[in-house]
This record gives sequence, C-alpha cells and structure tokens, in this order.
Amino acid sequence: MQPRPCPNQPPSVYAPRPCRLLSVTDLTPQEKLFRLQLHDGEELGHLPGQFVQVSVPGLTEAPISVASSPDRHGAFDLGVRRAGRLTTALHALRPGALLGIRGPFGRPFQLDALAGKDLLLIAGGCGLAPLRSLLQYCEDHRDRFGVLHLLYGARSPADLMFKEDLQEWQQGECFDCRVTVDQVPATGCYDGATGLVTGLLGDLDLMPHRTVAVLVGPPPMYRPLLEVLERKGIAKTSIMLSLERMMRCGIGKCGHCSIEHLLCCQDGPVFWLPEIEYLRGAL
Amino acid sequence: MTATLTTCPYCGTGCMLYLLSDGQGRLVGVEPSAGHPVSRGQLCVKGWNAHAFVQHPDRLKTPLVRRNGTLEPAGWDEALDLVHQRFRQISAAHGPDSLVFFSSAKVGNEENYLLMKLARVGYGTNNIDHCARLCHSSTVTGLVETLGSGAMTNTVACLDETDLVLVIGSNTTEQHPLIGSRILQATQRGCRLIVADGRRIKLSRHADLHLRHRNGTDVALLNGIMQQILELGLENRAFIEERTENFTALQESLAAFTPERVAAITGLQADEITAAARMFGTAKRAMLLYAMGITQHSHGVDNVRAVSNLALLTGNLGKPGTGVNPLRGQNNVQGACDMGALPDVLTGYQKVAEPSVRDRFAAAWGRPLPDRPGLMATHAFDAALAGRARAFFILGENPVLSEANQAHVVKALAAIDFLVVVDIFPTETSAFADVVLPAACYAEKDGTFTSTERRVQRFRRALPPPGEARADWEILSALLERCGLPAGYPGPGQIMDEIAAVTPSYGGISYPRLEESGLQWPCPNHDHPGTPILHRQSCTRGKGRFSPVDFRPSRELPDAAYPLLLNTGRTGMHWHTGTMTRRSHLLDREEHSAFIEIHPEDAARLSIRDRQQVSVESRRGEVRVMATLTDRVPLGQVFMPFHFVEGAANALTNNALDPESGIPEFKVCAVRITPC
Amino acid sequence: MLKRLDRADLEKLLAALATGYRLLTPQRLADGTRLHRPHGEGALALQGEPVQRKPTEAFFPQHDPLLRIGEQGEVTTCDPPDRPVALFGLNAADLACIAFIDRFFADPPADDHYLARRKDALLVGLTGFAGPGGDFLPPANGMCDLELLALGQNWLGVPWTPRGEALLEGFPDGEQAEVEELQETARTRGNPAQDLLEKAAGLVASEVVPDDFWREIGDRCILCSGCNLACPTCTCFCVEDRQEQAATLRSRVWDSCQFDAFMREASGHNPLGTEALRTRRRIHHKLAADVTRWGEFGCLLCGRCDRVCPTGIGIQAVAAEILARFGA
Repeated sequence: MQPRPCPNQPPSVYAPRPCRLLSVTDLTPQEKLFRLQLHDGEELGHLPGQFVQVSVPGLTEAPISVASSPDRHGAFDLGVRRAGRLTTALHALRPGALLGIRGPFGRPFQLDALAGKDLLLIAGGCGLAPLRSLLQYCEDHRDRFGVLHLLYGARSPADLMFKEDLQEWQQGECFDCRVTVDQVPATGCYDGATGLVTGLLGDLDLMPHRTVAVLVGPPPMYRPLLEVLERKGIAKTSIMLSLERMMRCGIGKCGHCSIEHLLCCQDGPVFWLPEIEYLRGAL
Repeated sequence: MTATLTTCPYCGTGCMLYLLSDGQGRLVGVEPSAGHPVSRGQLCVKGWNAHAFVQHPDRLKTPLVRRNGTLEPAGWDEALDLVHQRFRQISAAHGPDSLVFFSSAKVGNEENYLLMKLARVGYGTNNIDHCARLCHSSTVTGLVETLGSGAMTNTVACLDETDLVLVIGSNTTEQHPLIGSRILQATQRGCRLIVADGRRIKLSRHADLHLRHRNGTDVALLNGIMQQILELGLENRAFIEERTENFTALQESLAAFTPERVAAITGLQADEITAAARMFGTAKRAMLLYAMGITQHSHGVDNVRAVSNLALLTGNLGKPGTGVNPLRGQNNVQGACDMGALPDVLTGYQKVAEPSVRDRFAAAWGRPLPDRPGLMATHAFDAALAGRARAFFILGENPVLSEANQAHVVKALAAIDFLVVVDIFPTETSAFADVVLPAACYAEKDGTFTSTERRVQRFRRALPPPGEARADWEILSALLERCGLPAGYPGPGQIMDEIAAVTPSYGGISYPRLEESGLQWPCPNHDHPGTPILHRQSCTRGKGRFSPVDFRPSRELPDAAYPLLLNTGRTGMHWHTGTMTRRSHLLDREEHSAFIEIHPEDAARLSIRDRQQVSVESRRGEVRVMATLTDRVPLGQVFMPFHFVEGAANALTNNALDPESGIPEFKVCAVRITPC
Repeated sequence: MLKRLDRADLEKLLAALATGYRLLTPQRLADGTRLHRPHGEGALALQGEPVQRKPTEAFFPQHDPLLRIGEQGEVTTCDPPDRPVALFGLNAADLACIAFIDRFFADPPADDHYLARRKDALLVGLTGFAGPGGDFLPPANGMCDLELLALGQNWLGVPWTPRGEALLEGFPDGEQAEVEELQETARTRGNPAQDLLEKAAGLVASEVVPDDFWREIGDRCILCSGCNLACPTCTCFCVEDRQEQAATLRSRVWDSCQFDAFMREASGHNPLGTEALRTRRRIHHKLAADVTRWGEFGCLLCGRCDRVCPTGIGIQAVAAEILARFGA
C-alpha cells in the first residue's frame, strides 16, 4: 500500500475534496446553515435537489442536501440538523475550518418537467433546506414558471428554518408563501397559522392540470399529504418527492439507501411518485 | 496474507476462528473454523468482528506511571520496579494481606496460573480473585456441594441428542449465540423447550412453555416444579436410590411449595407450574441450562442448588443429552477458576486450607504458601474502605463498570495507597491507577482458554503487540523474577507443563495435544482422551447430594419510593464494559448509547416517549439513558445493559451479596424513572 | 484450443501462475477448513466443497483501507498490491458471483477502488469431478481466463481469454469429446436447486409471501450477520475512520442489512425497522430486486449462507420453506 500524491482531480470516487467553511448561521436551536467553498475555488457544479457527502476525518461522512441554488456562485449552503456524532461535530466548527466534500450526487429536481408549470412546493421540518435550492432557482428564473405556491410546516415557531428567507418569500412577489407550525408553546409569541402542513392546502386555489407538486419532508409527512393532493386532483404523475435515506457512498455501491431495486443516492433522492409508491418501505 | 487458527475472545462458548491478516501486519477479517465441534463453520456477530478492536488507535502501547497526578509514559523496568517496590513496602507495613490481586477471565490459563502463583508465593497472600465472583461463584459453591464439580456437566453437542431443554436465566441466543442457535436447531427437530425468564427473549418465541416468573423467585419456581414432579410421580426412583443422598430432606422441604403458593410468589399461573413439571418429568432426556439469571442473586447459591436438585430428582445427569449446564460467561472464566485465581482454592479446586495441598505446591514452587483463604473480590472493596486492603493489582478487569454499586467501588479505589492496572485499553478503572501496564491482546500472544464445556484450547499469536505492549505472562514472569522466583519460561507451553504437573484434572494436557480442537478436562494423563460428560458412573463427590432450599426474597424490592424492578445484563452486540466492542465499528454502530427497556404501559404512566432521555435513580446512584419502549420486559420491570459508561447500570445496582458465594444481586434492585 | 493436463502438467501450470501472480489455491487446513491460501503454503485440496470464504474477498476484503486523509485534508489513496492475484479453483457459481459483482462495481459511477484490484487479476475455474469426494461440478463455460475440467487423474484445460490461452500454450491437446461428455452430464443432472430458487423467487416477487412468514424466519435469526458476510454477491459496506498518527485512515468494512442500524437514520427513523422487514429484504433483494435491476438473481447458489447460518435460514432453506408453504 503506497501513498500516491493527490492530483487536482480527486484520485478516487471516494476521495473528498477539501472545502473551506466560510460562515455558520444559526437557523433553529437544532439546525445551522453552513456556507462552504471548495478549496480550489471550483464551483460545486450541482443542480437543485442534489446532495453531497460531507467528510469529517475520524467520523466518516454524512449525506447533506445542498440548500442553495447553483446560480448563487462562489459558494454553496448546507442546512444541517444536529442529530448524530458527525453533525454534532459539524455544529462545533467555526468559519475557516477545513472539511471534505464529495459529490454532488443523485438525481435532481426535474427542472425541465417543472418549466412552464404552476408549482406547489411543500416542505416539512428540515425538508426546507433541500427545497431551498429549488426555491432560489425559481427566484432567479421567475419567468420560467407559472404560479409558485410555497407551503412550509414546522413543529413549533422555534423550529422554523430560514426565518429571514421566509419573511422575504412571504413579503415578496415571487411566491404565494404560507407557513404553519404544529404547536405553539404557551410562552411563545407567534401570530401565524397553526396545524399540520396539510391544513394549508385546504383553501388553496390550484389548477390541477398545470400544477406539479414538489414535496420534501420527514417520512411521516408524505402519506397524509398525498391523500390531500389526490383530493385536490393533482395527478400522481405530477408529484415529485425527495426521499431521505442513509446514503454512505453516494455512488450506488454501499447499499444503505436501497429501496427494493432502487438506490436512493443514484436513482433519487428525487423521485416521481409512480416510480416508488408501489415499493415496500419507500414511503 | 496469513490465517491464524485461534479461539474467540468473547464468550465461554469457545468457538474457534481464523484471524486473517494482510501479511503487512493489518488484520483484515475473521473466518470461522469449519472443523471445530462447536463453531462448525459458524460464528456469532461478535465472533465475526473479533478482529475489529485489535488495532484500534486507543490501544495502550507503553507503560504509564503517575507523576504529579498524571499518568506519564515510563520504561518497563521503571514501571515494574515501582510496582514491586511499592508492593513490598505496603506488605511490610500492613502485612501481605493488605495486597489484593484481581486476575482476569479474559487472559489465558497460563497467565491466571502465574498471577495466582505471584500472589500466593511472590507476595504471600491468598487475596486473589477474578470476575467469576460476579458471574458463576454461586455455581462453583452450589455444584461442588451437590455434585462435587462446579462446571458444566455435559457438552454443547449434547443439545443434538436431548428431548427437552429447560433454559432458566439465560438469554442464550444473545449471550452464547452458538449454543442458543443449537437450541433453536434442536427445537426444529422436535426437541421441546421450556424458557423460564421474565423477559420475552428470542428463545421464548420458540418455547413450548414460557414461564415469565418474577425476577428473584427462581427457588420458588424450581421447588414448585419439583413438588409437582413428586405429586405426579415423575421422579426417577432408581436414580434417586442408586446415585443420590438426602432425598427425604428434599421431599420434606418441597411439601410447602404447592402450585398455589408458588403461583403467588412467582406471579405465574398454578397450572403453568404443573405443565412445566409434567413436560420436564416426562422427558426421556432433559438438559438444564442456566446463566446469570440464576447466579446473580443474594440467594444465588440456593438457586444453583435448586437447579441441581431438579436434575438429580429426574435422573438427568451423567449421560448424553442431560445435565446441569451453567453457561460460563467469559472466554476463559472456566479456566481462570480452574487455575485457582480464587481466594480459597489452587489449581483444579485444590483447597488452600488443606495442609497436604499446600505442602505439594510448596514443594513444586519452592516456597511455603499462606494458609488462610483470601478475600473475595466483592469483599475487597469493603476491606479497602476499612483500610485493610491498601494495594490492588488489577489484571484485565474493569470493576468501576462491572461491579455492583459503582460509587462504592470508586470510593474504595480512591482510598487505597497503590493501584496497578494491566489492560489492553485505557479503562474507567485505569483512570485511578498509579501504574498502567500495556498488555498484548488475545491476537498477539499464545496460550490456552478453557471454554464453558471444559474444553481447553489454544489461542495463537497472529501479529505482534502494539508499541511496547507485552503478553501478560511476560509481565507476570518479570514480577515473579523480582520476587526471586524462577520464571524463565520460554513460552506459555512450558507454563502449561507446570500446570499439568500440579493439577490432576489438567494432568494430561500439553500443547502438542491441543493442536486441533482441544481437550475436555478432566484429562488426568497423557493417554486420556478427555471427558465430555461428567458424573457418568458416580458423581465427582460420590453420591449426588440433594440440598434442600427455602425461598428467600431479593434484598431490595420495589416500593413506593422506587417502584420499578431493575434487571441488568448484556446485549448481543456488546461485551461487558465495552472496552473491546465499543471499539468495534459495526458493533458500536448497532448499539451506540446507553438505554433502558421499559414496558409501554409503564412508560405511558410515566409520560415517557420512545427514545426519550430519562433519569433512572436507585438508592445508590442516578444515570441518564434513552428509553426504549418494548414489551420484551414485563410490566413493572425495566432492563439495562451494563456496557455503557455514560449510563452505567452498575451505578444503580445493589451490592447485597450472597452470604456463601459473595456474588452481588445484579438482577434485582429498585429504581424510579423520570423523564428528562 | 483444448488441452489435457496430468498432475505434472498441473504443477507446471501452477508454477507458471505463481511467477506472474499472487497465486491463491484451495487448501485444506488442519481443522478441516478449505480456504484459498497462498500457493505452496499447504497441500492443494483440488476436490471439495466451495472454498469457505467468498472468493470475491480478493477484490473486496472484509476490512478494506480506501484512503488516508492528512491534516490539511490532502488525500492519498491506498494502492492495490504490486502483483495481481490469480484465483485458482473456482467453481461455476463462484465465477458467476465474481461476474455479478464485477458488473455491479463497474456500473457508472464506477468503483475505481474495486476495479484497481480486479483489473489484472486472473481467474481459473475448476469444475468437472472436483466437488466433495470427487462429486460432479457443472462446467462454468466461461466467466474465467481458463477453466480446468477435472476428469479424475487428469484435467481438460479450456482457455476463455487470450491470457488463458497463453498459459495453456505447450500442453498436450485434449479430446473435444471428453468436454462434450461433461456437458452432457451437466445437462442430464439438471439443476434442481436453481429450479427451486426460481419458483420461490416467483412467489416472493408476486408478494404472496405474507409478513408473518418473514417475522417467523426473523424469529429464528440470531443476528450473526454471517449470511451477508459469507455471500459473494453481497457488496454492502460501511465506512470506518481511524486516527493513525496525524492522518485518518478511511476504510470500508463489510456490512449486513440484517443490522437494525444498517438503514437507521440519526433521527431514529428506520425504513427497515423490524426483523421481519430485514429478513424480507435479505431474501427479496436477491430473488426479486436484483432481477429487476440487473436481470439476474443475486443468488448464484454457492451455498455459503446456508452453510454459515447457525439456525438454518440460509437462502436455499428459506426458498424451500417458501415453496413448501406457499407454492401450492
């Protein structure tokens, strides 16, 4: 086993590229936004909906969705919830820290299929982070889409991610942005909507034939949401969703993200509903 | 690329495996031995990962000596000289019995032998013990009294020939997986299975009868079963007549254990007890298997007596497919006992108190032996707090996590004058040490382990130890020499020759005879083929002795302040205090933090959600762990594994001891739980 | 080209292989285990059950160092050994397994780490009367560089690649009729295990096997993970980091889908959260999912999981049980 010098190109599909942490912003008590730049100044080259493998030496890697649009040049964002050992270590990092990145990986949101359509963009919990890459893309290319509905549900007001962005989206022209929280603590001051994200769909005026729904959220969100969408007349072929799995390699080899014959890291994480709804354990 | 045939370092089942290395000194995997009679080309999850911790970067690589409060690297001679000099000083000032030696069920027979020799004639004390005190001391005491030998009477292979298996207090598929799987295979071919265990363990899903009796009521249950066997006339009269004594006393003692009374004590239905008696009593050949669920009680010896009584009553002894089968926990806990790493016996259970025994060893070793039996490990901590024990030598044990009542142990270790720890990793115990000596692990040295079925077998060096670490036998030889005892053993094989010369049951054991799958003791001479089944014609003690026992409740039961019963034990993924398995990637990933199993109804009452952090308190301590809601535990009982330092079950357990064996009551104490 | 080798010829062939390759041959160890070992270390075991350890280990080992990461994030890969490996004595199932995972790892994006170890390796099949006690093993008909068909005291040598041809150069010619005879033997014997597997696979794929069945099989699993570790087409791995001085060594390690933590996420959510689901996955993946994805069963009937399972629930045992219970 002889060490081999590292050329500019990663020497292996498993070799992380060095990456500098530019800034860290608190999003919620559990979530932070990391702005990163590849060490060689290269663009990440991702598409909305793709993910990267973040490498922390000693703690291996974790798959994290990119939370910014490829058109916001020079850097990219990752929204990270503190859940395990690696993400806890990430949360302790300060700007200037060195990380490793592999990717981008996976099938992105199908932008071609979204062009010219009304979009019903629905995020639950930390699902807003991956969706943000598409939201920014929509902002940057507003003329390519019809009406843009953005629905977001979080557990409590404190759990709302990207509060500044949400404020902009709510006040701006780009989105019809609606936000809800499951519950408001007795001590909280919050004057927005409460209830599950499905509740926001009730009085929404949709044109089902020209609407594509894009869903990103925690696993328990999907089934109830799909029922409401069906009632709203949205065809299954017009529903796209992003699934969360424990991708270890990102290139379809490690097996941790398989859903029957599909591999979430390569065939997904973004799927059309009919591709997966019949598979055991997909939803 | 090399393949080294060796013995698994985890449980007492004694599977053999190949350690595979890449030829450049890196272990790359494990492959089971196809021809070994127990492993048969198979392993459990820990066996498949037996290579994983060996080259972990945390390994101790150099001796450490405490200077100005911190442990600093030191040379071997400096460290060993310091150990010897301090032990001499303390012995001179406070007498040899102020020294305490803990041997280890994880190191080889040869090493246990050397440490027991070092303690007895090097430093002149019988204060030598090891963790068998915490697992099967009740077995040794109980079975020596009733049968004359404190070991598993039969072999693992007997499971292929039996008609019924009664498993009591053993989660066999997790703790002795290759024995547990053999039970499952037996059930597949029609063998009947009775599981007596409060928890819904995997075996219980295959049982013809699952008796979920309350923890700590085994004597009542077993007496109840025996009472019904007599009632139904299913006892083996001929066997009782020919092979046993004291039957009348047993008969009298059982009269009070009617199904109704036993049901009230155990929480079972009366007809379950009768059903068990009928099933067990009518089986042509029945095997009794037990483990910590029987032994780790303040009445552990009584539990063992009751198990033994049941086997004698039904004549299930001395033939294939029967027997009293304590499943020994550690890979070499049988061997550590056989080697006399116990305060009252020398090798082969020869009594220290017996002058003729001492004379024989004195002749062999060239020095007189101390005559008074020494301290049990569990009493040593009391002695430390009383100022009687001043220096501890702890070889490959981690009592801070493994002994009951952690606060008590920590206080004791803080109180003593001098602590030496020999280990492969830094542990919670080595943190208190004045000298830490780095040891080679099983993969880096040669020796023998004795498995639960008394099989003495080889482990072999697959690679060199890390850094300056040395094999325990080398470390102990160096100390023996400092004590002026000749210890120029070229290797462990020569130590085994010395063991064989002083130990009748190991008399025929030598390395050339152990090449393939070992030998089962007793093996008294070089032509003897070994003894798979004990007590064939007569018991080791002559007649099998019925030893009547009465039911005594556990020492601390749930009450209003501490309303839940805490049961402790292990999981299938981890090993004891986790020094090895928590450094094995896959095992650590599968279970990576402390948890407590709570019945969903208890949890609902306490407003505890699944995976929530909870505080668990007993009269002795408090820990915070994650709640796992499961009906595996019965209502009113909670279960915690003791592997995790960050949620140490033994911070809570009760160090109430069995009066005879000195085993703590790990299986029963009272706790309360509150959500964090 | 067809050659006929006697024992001396075979030794000559092995000697030639040993000069250019790290030659691994099947050997019977003292305890009875048949393993691939460096040639010459022990006595050749030319007949017997398949070598116990999966042959794919040569390219995808249980603990496989991938790369080192330095303090500044600089990465150095772990290169394969200088000399490529020659695996001698593979039966048809094992060769099919290697072909299966070759395709898997080469599928874009390709696994360069695997390919570097596999690239120049040489495979030598050993079929014909080379089973336990000289039992018949069906010819592999390819999937290797050269195949030796055991006849008893002699071997027919069939090259399948130019490298194989070069290695057989100079040995006496063989009779085509003898090959035909072996092929005929294979045809008449058929493959009852394959038939059974196909029928069971049909039942699994059409979802007629109820969850209760998977729960029952799961109840018999002691979670040793041996089925996955022994399986030559199991490729799942996890990643382990170890600090070595200032650098981090990143390795991949064989994993098992039977572990609860295999798919468990940091949040606790687990798409394979029960023993029943994991047991179903183990069987369904090989018999149904692989067929959908790769057009082929993931089980090539090597027999290792059935041999290594301590409770008798290897894939062929489970397939037989499925057929017995739901095949009517």
